[in-house]
Amino acid sequence: MSVKLIKGRGAIPGVSEGIAMVSMETIQGWSGLDDKTGLVIERGHPFEGMSIKDSVLILSGGKGSNGWSCHFHAARVSGIGPAALVFPKMDSRTGVAAVVTGVPTVTDLEDDPFDVIRTGDLVRVDGNKGTVEIIQRSKPETQQN
Amino acid sequence: MVKLTDKEKQMMDGSEGSLKQKAMENIVSYANVLGAEELCVVTKAHLFCGAHSYMKALQSDNIDEVMSEMHFCSSDKLILDKVSCYSQSDVGPMCPFNWDKMGVSEKEHTENLNYLNRYLHSGVNLVGSCVPYLVGFIPLMGEHYVTSESHAVLIMNSLWGACGHADGLEAGFWSAVCGRTPLWGLHIMENRKGTHVFDIECPSETVLDWDLIGYTIGRKTPTHSIPVLRKGFKRPDITKLKSSYASMATTGGPEMCHIVGVTPEARTYEEAVGDRQPEDFATITSNDIRESLEMLNEGGRSRLDYISLGCPHYTIDQMRQVATFLRDKRVNNNTVLHVWTAAPIKETSDRCGYTKAIEDAGGIVLTSSCPLTSEKKPRGAETMAFDSGKQAHYIKPGSGSKVWFGSMEDCLRSAVTGFWEGE
Repeated sequence: MSVKLIKGRGAIPGVSEGIAMVSMETIQGWSGLDDKTGLVIERGHPFEGMSIKDSVLILSGGKGSNGWSCHFHAARVSGIGPAALVFPKMDSRTGVAAVVTGVPTVTDLEDDPFDVIRTGDLVRVDGNKGTVEIIQRSKPETQQN
Repeated sequence: MVKLTDKEKQMMDGSEGSLKQKAMENIVSYANVLGAEELCVVTKAHLFCGAHSYMKALQSDNIDEVMSEMHFCSSDKLILDKVSCYSQSDVGPMCPFNWDKMGVSEKEHTENLNYLNRYLHSGVNLVGSCVPYLVGFIPLMGEHYVTSESHAVLIMNSLWGACGHADGLEAGFWSAVCGRTPLWGLHIMENRKGTHVFDIECPSETVLDWDLIGYTIGRKTPTHSIPVLRKGFKRPDITKLKSSYASMATTGGPEMCHIVGVTPEARTYEEAVGDRQPEDFATITSNDIRESLEMLNEGGRSRLDYISLGCPHYTIDQMRQVATFLRDKRVNNNTVLHVWTAAPIKETSDRCGYTKAIEDAGGIVLTSSCPLTSEKKPRGAETMAFDSGKQAHYIKPGSGSKVWFGSMEDCLRSAVTGFWEGE
């Protein structure tokens, strides 16, 4: 049952669904994502300890090392990468990460995803049409910003 | 969709070979992701060369297979045999000369050498440093470059008006091969005006002061911002900014940072911000600095297993300072001291006797890598100290070690006593 659809621009084509991991905080690549396990290891990050495998990552952008992309690349090659990527606005780190991860990616969103989507929601990312759709809301106790 | 010139279309259709074709395909995909309308010509590439750990995800012993996928995202085998612009290597996963003094095996060393030789034969100069601008890589104002080093983006954009981004490691290879990158963002001079203004109300005398200023601004500046240091600071030099921008790039994402009166696109505050009203103003206070220092420090006076200096790689003057301090002293038997620099700088350090002074004291001089990119530390080391906010920040999560951070002198005094002697 579709609750909300956000329109944007398709950056990498394809359609994918997954559980959203939503954070206004950027995540660092080096010492942020362990590309051998898919776990977020950035100290103090809301995702610390969570796995990005098959998730729909919704982040404000990238930060830290120019090696940001390689961690997502390695995770994808190892089969523990995300299902889709959503960035309200692109930057160079996330741009290269989108290309090397190769999963459906949407950007330039008309609505602020941080107001609409919560971690735990099941979302569908359509990189062909450029849309992000909430398929099912998470239960209240699993919601976090 | 990005518009291509005839030359770019030729590369894209395979007329210039499958390597250039794949590189162009990736650059075009990157350009379309960003929403760029056209590409620009890249004249300098600083590349993440070596048998780096992330490349092992493919679990292959075949160099061409690994490079094809991990550099070019190609499941078809490509041979990296030619770069098309001036190219220079960044740090690798080990010091290629003193690898046995940093816990690297002969097998790992041989594998890394095979990779380095491949890059060399394609035309990459094997400099092996995160401070390319100290060793010949100097793009001028308006010149488009690519780099795999986050702080080098800040240095080269801010201090010289050159044009680069924190592109991922892979994009560096694409640009080196096809000579193009998207004409977008900071590659367009009009897009480089400051958005977030910082006034400095904390000490700004020493390298440590500037490292902490950078770390703190990075913490406070939002994603996609261009910070401007407006007033209140003592005039920095390249050594202070090397450390400051390294920490700033670590905690934030800025790819440009104006310093009024110091950087060429910020000769005045008005020039730095242009016609747009900045989005926010903030002050960096001594309390903010103290907060940063506490984030980077375990606290207490502990025995130290490992001390590493030289992130970013030390200048020849920093090597001289270390040698001067350690002359006629001994590094504590229970502490390993590493001092990192670029191989070309080490040559000068050797000739000037600085390397000998450091080694006679029991220190180890290494080049072409660092604790973070090598993922190596002395066996059993659990307590570590750095004079780099960047290393201190990054090392802790992956290693589970206890970390201290202070000035070069704090670290050197600690190396001699074997205990943390800083704050």
